[in-house]
Order: sequence, then C-alpha cells, then structure tokens
Amino acid sequence: MQWWQIRKRNDDLERELLCDLELEEEEQRERGVPPEEAAKAARRAFGNVALIRERTHEAWGLAPVERFWGDLRYALRSVQRAPMLFIVAVLALGLGIGLNAGVFTLLNSILLQPPIFKDPGSFVQVYPRYTGWSMREDQYSSFTTEDYDAIRNRSKVLEDVAAWQISSVVLEEGNKPNAAPTVTCNYFHIFGVDRPLLGRFFVSGDCGRGSSAQVAVLSEATWATDFGSDSDIIGKTIHLNGSPFQVIGVVSSDAANFLPGGIFVPYTAEPLLDRGRDLFNSADVPWLGVAGRLHSGFSRADAQAELSTIMAQQDRAYVKRHISTFNRKTNLALTNGSFIENPAIRDRVVAMMALILGPLTLILLLACCNVTMLFLSRTVTRRGEIATRLALGASRGQLARMLLAESLLTAIIGGALSILFVYRVPLLVMNAIGARQSRFVLLIHPDWRVFGYLALLVIAATLISSLMPIRAAWKLDLLTALKGRESAATVRSKTTSGLIVVQIAFGFVLVCAAVLFGRLPSLVTGTDAGFDTHHTIAVPLDVDTSAANHAGALAFYSTLESRIVAIPGVQSVAYASLGPFRPVPPQEIRLPGQTVGQGKPVSVDDISSYFFSTFGIPLLRGRSFNSADPTSPDSDSVAIVSEAFAKAFWPAGDPLGQSIVTPNHRRLIVVGIAADTKSESFGVTDGPRLYTLRDASALGGKLYVHFYGDAKPIENAIRDMVKALDRTQIIAPETIWESLEADAVQMTSLAGIILFMASVGLLMAVVGVYGVLSFAVNQRSREFGIKMVLGASRQTIFRSVTLQAIRNTIVGLLCGVAIAQPAMRTLAQFLSGPYPLRGLITFALGVSAVLLLVVSLAASWLPALRATRSDPMQALRAE
Amino acid sequence: MPSTKDQAKQRSAVLQGTLDMLILRTLLYGAAHGHEIGKHIQRTTNDFLQMQHGSLYPALHRLEKRGWVTSKWETAPDRNREFKYYRLTEKGRKQLLVEESQWKQMMEAVARVMWPTGEES
Repeated sequence: MQWWQIRKRNDDLERELLCDLELEEEEQRERGVPPEEAAKAARRAFGNVALIRERTHEAWGLAPVERFWGDLRYALRSVQRAPMLFIVAVLALGLGIGLNAGVFTLLNSILLQPPIFKDPGSFVQVYPRYTGWSMREDQYSSFTTEDYDAIRNRSKVLEDVAAWQISSVVLEEGNKPNAAPTVTCNYFHIFGVDRPLLGRFFVSGDCGRGSSAQVAVLSEATWATDFGSDSDIIGKTIHLNGSPFQVIGVVSSDAANFLPGGIFVPYTAEPLLDRGRDLFNSADVPWLGVAGRLHSGFSRADAQAELSTIMAQQDRAYVKRHISTFNRKTNLALTNGSFIENPAIRDRVVAMMALILGPLTLILLLACCNVTMLFLSRTVTRRGEIATRLALGASRGQLARMLLAESLLTAIIGGALSILFVYRVPLLVMNAIGARQSRFVLLIHPDWRVFGYLALLVIAATLISSLMPIRAAWKLDLLTALKGRESAATVRSKTTSGLIVVQIAFGFVLVCAAVLFGRLPSLVTGTDAGFDTHHTIAVPLDVDTSAANHAGALAFYSTLESRIVAIPGVQSVAYASLGPFRPVPPQEIRLPGQTVGQGKPVSVDDISSYFFSTFGIPLLRGRSFNSADPTSPDSDSVAIVSEAFAKAFWPAGDPLGQSIVTPNHRRLIVVGIAADTKSESFGVTDGPRLYTLRDASALGGKLYVHFYGDAKPIENAIRDMVKALDRTQIIAPETIWESLEADAVQMTSLAGIILFMASVGLLMAVVGVYGVLSFAVNQRSREFGIKMVLGASRQTIFRSVTLQAIRNTIVGLLCGVAIAQPAMRTLAQFLSGPYPLRGLITFALGVSAVLLLVVSLAASWLPALRATRSDPMQALRAE
Repeated sequence: MPSTKDQAKQRSAVLQGTLDMLILRTLLYGAAHGHEIGKHIQRTTNDFLQMQHGSLYPALHRLEKRGWVTSKWETAPDRNREFKYYRLTEKGRKQLLVEESQWKQMMEAVARVMWPTGEES
C-alpha cells in the first residue's frame, strides 16, 4: 500500500470498527443489558479502540513512516506556535553548521579529493620509499629519472605514466616567483585534460631525451593574472629564470584545479631552470612525482604488485652498479592522488584538519548549546501539555521522538541554509588569505564527502540539541506538572550550570585562538628587531658558484659590490650567512679546555666587515672587524659576540680578550661585544650569537645594502645594476621591512578570518550564557519572591545570581584552559618558524580569560536585575 | 493451579500462530465481516478462545495485505446496512492448505512426544 492511501485506509478502518461496535452493542442489548449501558458494555467488550487502530496500522507495515510523519506534523505545529524561537534556532544552527561545512568544503577540495575529475578510479599516484640509501632515508619521496623510465617502459598494468616536479621559477615578465611544474609530455593526458584552452599541449618530441624544446603551457590563472588573458599569447616568448620559453598553449583552470597552476614546461628543461644542479641527469637523485592510469581490468593492487617487482629489479641493478655498501631497497605506496593519502604527509594533513576543524566544531557546539537552551525553556513552559500527553497514555519514548523531530526539523532547515556557506565560504577564505593564493584553488567542487559531512553535522546537531530537552521531559514529575504548579523546578541548577560552564569553556578556547593569531601580525611589524629593518635592503642573488665558474662568480660579486657602493644614497654593503627571521641551526661553541659536548649551542653568523654598520647594530664594547684581522677559515682569528653570548659564557668576567673554540677547532679571540638582536623569532631576544669574519675570497652568502633616503629608487638602481651585469639574474630587492610587511598583510587576513569565527563563537557564548541565566532566573522567580517575603533584600538576590554566574564562569574558564593550553602547545609545535607562539600562550590565556569574565558578567547582569524585580505578591499568589 | 491471567496468556499463545489459520478456515464457509468471524471462532471453540478484537483486526488487515483475503463493503442480507466483508482468495485457499498441513505435522510431532506409542493416556 502506498503512503498516500493512508487517509483512505484510515477512514475505512474507522468505519469498519464503528460497524462492528454497533453490532456488539446490539448483541449486548439482545442479551438483556439495559440500552443505556449497552454502548458502554460494547466498548468494554471491544477493548481499547485506539489500541486496535494502532495495531492494525502496524499490520499495514507503515507504522514507522506514519509515526515519523505525525512527529513531524507535531513539530511543524510547534514551530507555528513560536516562529521567532524557531528562526533563531535555525539561524544559530545554520551558522554553526555552515561555517563548518564551508571550511570542510575547502579542506576537502584541497586535501581529500583526488586531483582529477575524469575517471578518477583509474588514476594512481605512486610514492617510493628508498631505504638503505644515503638520501631521504625511510621517508616516502619521489622517483629518480631512471626509476621513472623503468616504470614507464616496463609496466603492463599502467596504461601510461606521467612524472613531474613542482619548482618555483621567476617569471621575468611578471618579475615575481611563480610555480613551474616541470612535466612529462603526457602529463595533461594522465590528469584527465585532453584539450587545451588555447594553442596546443606538449607533443612527445618536446620531452624526448636530448630534446631541448623550450616551450611552456600556461595555466589559465597565470594567463589571466600575469598576461591579462592576452588572446595572442600563443607563440610569444617568456623568460623563466632567465631562459626564453615559447608559449604554446593555455590549460583551463577547471582541469588544473588541483594542480598548483603556474607555468608548465617539459621536464627536460629542468637543468635550464635549476642553476648549478642537474636533477634530470643525476641517476641518484629522487625528484619526480609519478602517476599513471590503470589499464581497464586491472586494480591498484595489481599495479602495486607489478611496480614492486619492477622496483626490485631496479634495486638489484642499482646495487650492482654501485660497488658500495649501500643496499637500496624500495617500498611503494599507491594512492588515489589526494593529499591525505600521500604517505609522507598524511599525519600532518590529519593534524592540520583537526586543528582547523576543531575550533569550528566548538562553534557548532556553542550553537547547539543555544538551541538546547531554547528548546529546554520551551519544554519547561510546555510541561503542562507534556504531562497531559503522558497522562493520556503517550509513552516517554514517544515524547522523546516528538522532541527529537523538532530538533531534526530545525537542524535540517539549518543544514539546508548552510549549503549557501558550502559554496561561499571557501572563496571568501581564499580571497582573504590573498589574491596570490586564491588562484591556486580555483574551483571548489562540493562532493559526496561534503554532503556526507553536512549530514553528519545535522544529525549531531539534532542529537546534541535535543538531549537536554528530552531529559527534562523524561524526568518530568507527572503529578506536580499536572497540578499546574508552574514553579516546581524541573530543570535542576546542575543542568543550567553545566550549560554555562560548557559555553564559557568553548568560547574561551575560540577567543584564545583569535588572540593568538590576532597578535601575530603586529608582532611581526610592531617589534623592534634590534637592527634597522627600514634602511637595509636584501639583494637576492642566484650565482653559479661551482668550481667551474669560480673566477666568473668572483668577478661578478666584486664588480657588483663596487657598483652598488657607488649608487648615491648607499652607505655600506655587507654579507651575512644568516638571513633574518629564518631558522638557524645552532653550532656548538666551547671554551678552551672544554671537550666536545661540553660547549653551548650558539648561532654563528659569518659576516663581512661592514655588517654592523649595514644592519645598524650597535657595538657596545671593543671594536669591529678590520682589514688586518685574518679571515682564512683555518687560522685562528678574532670574533665579536652578542651580549647574550657574553652572559652565557662569562657571567661575571670580562669577555674581551677571552678565547673560544669553534666546532672545527678554530680558536677565536673576542674583540667586541654587539647588542642583542631579535632576528630569529619576532619579539624574542636571540640567544647567544657569535659573529665571525667572512673569508674575503668566499662566494655566496646573502648581500645586504644600507642606505638613507627613499628605498624605491635605490632598489630599482640595484636591480638594473644586477641585470646589467648578468641578464639571467631575476631579482626583486626589497628592504627587510617590506618583506616583513608582506608577511604581515597575509597574516592579518588569516587572523581576520579566525577573528571573525571567534567573534561568532563569542557572540554565541554570550547569548547562550544570557539565555541560560534568564531561564534559570525565570525558573526561580517564585523562590526569589518567597525570599523577599522572608526579608531578603534585592541586593542579596542580585548578589546570589551574579555570584552563581561568576562561579560557573570560573569553572568554565578552568575547563577552557585545560582544553586551550595543550591545543595551543600543539599548534605552536606545528607552526614552526620565526613566530614565538609559545611565548604568546600565556598572554592569550590571560587576555581571553579577562575578556570572557567581563563578557559573562555583562551577560548575567540583566537576568540578575530581573531576578530582583520578582514580585513577592505574584509568587505567593501562584502558590 | 494457574491463575486466570495465566490461562488467558496460554490461550493467546495458542492463538498467536494459529489465528491466521483459524480466520482462513472460517472464511472457507463464505464471506464474513470481522464481527462474525470473531463470534464464529468463539462459538465453535465453546468460548475457549475469547476473540480479542485487538488481535482480530490487525490479523485481518495483515491477511489482506498478503493477498490471502479481499475485502468489500456489502449490504448484509438480513440487515439494511453495509459491512466490510472479507473473502478468501485463491492464494488464501492454498495458504490454508499449507498452514493446515503444517499444523497437522506439528500436532503429530507434539503427540509423539507426549503420548509415545503403546502408552495410551
């Protein structure tokens, strides 16, 4: 039977029962029962008609559907009765679910989805793990050129195999770094892109051994941002790392979605782009990512077996060729190509998703708390109705189902609303992070994972937000409720306290995250680094310093140096081995007489003589380096130490004239003490630092220029000068300050997103606390009235409500700290780099605690005030 | 001595598996409405089986859903009123045979345990 026939069926059954009931009545009368009692007797003989009806319905096999339909209708009716409450609940859940699902969509398309749209089932990506080998031991990495060739030539299971490496090149026409995948010529085919947007793709001739075809395919995004969607781009020449490439085609963004975009060039062009290294022809260096397509009829396991055999052969050949102790062995992992399946980074991807989705889940939980409160208050105000239903024979299970249906209705509509977020949030986030990033993830495709996640959230929200109301209805004391004693407390203070604690704790965690990230940008630009960031220009150079080019490189550096010094406004030029705000591997420095292992870890900066004036670092005592100081890396010489160094090594004595020993057993005599800087982490004074004098004939190192006046003309002059000397140099000199600012801008937008989410969370927490307290105060109005009659002053009542709120808030804060502290520690570990997150944790905890305390006091003020307004007369009258 | 409640329980347990068969058998005499079916079973068992309406109607509807009986509103021959008459279908007839034979097998099996040959009760 179909569900739309239910009504007809029902009428039919009703009629049937009625007929038979009448017959029964007649029989009773015939049996001599007085007519006035016959009807009653018939009903008695018949039994519970409602029960018969219900059992018959069950015989139809439609009872669950019918029950659900009934519950839903009931839910709709209660929505009609209180539409505002419903709208608020839907909005809260919609926001909570939407933010989660939106961000999940983004993560899904970046991390979880395989990178292809066309026939993803046949796509396999292969990760090798070389062991017993000197390079990248025990870690999934990339293939060597030889291994790729072997797989490509011998595999029967894989129809075709592509390889690629993603490197960064400077596109001269845009004068900025760009992603440049160096790919095999079948790359687009393997990734499911058959037709170019413009022009053509690579043909096999472009990638042949010994081919030096300098051709490039632009991604649609690069074509649009760097070339203004120039329709005549095909055939034009662009310059990558100084080499000319001819543009032969443009690949559409949709297809390149997962690919990082940028400029695709044949992998044979790798030596051209990668100065000084030749990965393509080094048999030993793993550098290629490899993916292929399965022949139809073969599975990934078949491929795994076959490729493992091929790699075992390769391993044997390798061992045979190298008469060495290395005994290479290769393990393979085959995946669908998504990031989360990449064995090398799987754990980090999972951790990252947890870190991102964790706080968002808190927002959803806060939304659920709010909705719980709304439903709970309604359940309590409706307790008369609920009691009547129970008295009429509804089971508690039925009641729970009814309440559940209401939550479900709310959550489903909220979830439907949140689909808007699924399509909007990812783009908003990407745009906020930066225009440069937004073109890397171009098209977000919500798929079954997103909708599955959405459904999961809806179900979770339904269950969580209906738990408390169901409990309240379950615990309902039938007699008191039926007697209509409105004031009989059915929701215990434990419940309300618990809700406040939970909301404060979650709000606290979110605010902590926001404070942490909100503080970062200002930390980057706002702290005094201890050296002049505004008037020091970093000049990035990429010089071939191999032995073959030694003389050329030497000439390049000396000419460049003299020319830069001649630029008007330039004061000095210096080299340093350490860049500011980059991680520094410490070296062990010892005092004479100490053995290896007894020394202290120190950052060692190998600098040229004008370093201190170029960076504007003051010398506190002693002298700077001078031209008479020996520079040879083997001979003993002099050194300058930082204040922290001096304190660490000679806490009491005078460092000047003391000697120290470097890891290569060089003895250095301290001739000067420089001021401490904050160049390793933002806002944190560096540890011990040792400055050694750079060998005058050394090559490489980072070049810095100190100047006065406006930065721009000098930056341009330096760039032109470098270009004039070596046309292949692609440089964008900028002051240290400018590069910091660029970082800070990016961080600010990221912080903006986090701040927005935390604000949503905080708002929900405040509204939640307010709601819970108002509810609790309403519940206790009779109690307050009686207290007043007994002589309690309004102040006492105000104080008791506020005190309870404060107590709950503090418990909530403690719980929050218990969650936030370890979470932030994990985060600080995860985000390594020059950001002193660890030092910020206490700050974040403190600020958030104060903020939440203030906010929760504000939220409890109104309910407390209302408590003092309870009318004693009314309370007594209700008794 | 079992209480009356226990007796009722026992009877309903007997009924549980056999109600469908009893209804089908009753309908073999011809079409009948719910009340008649109930009364007939009650009367033929000398009131041993008190027909519970609570199980009769669900059972009738279940049989109808399975296609063993059909129903139709018809005017009763002796009254000027319409009743819902149930009629055995061809499928129902076959089902009755099946249930009957199953029931017989069961009875024989039970009998063999209870009264082994040569040990007349």
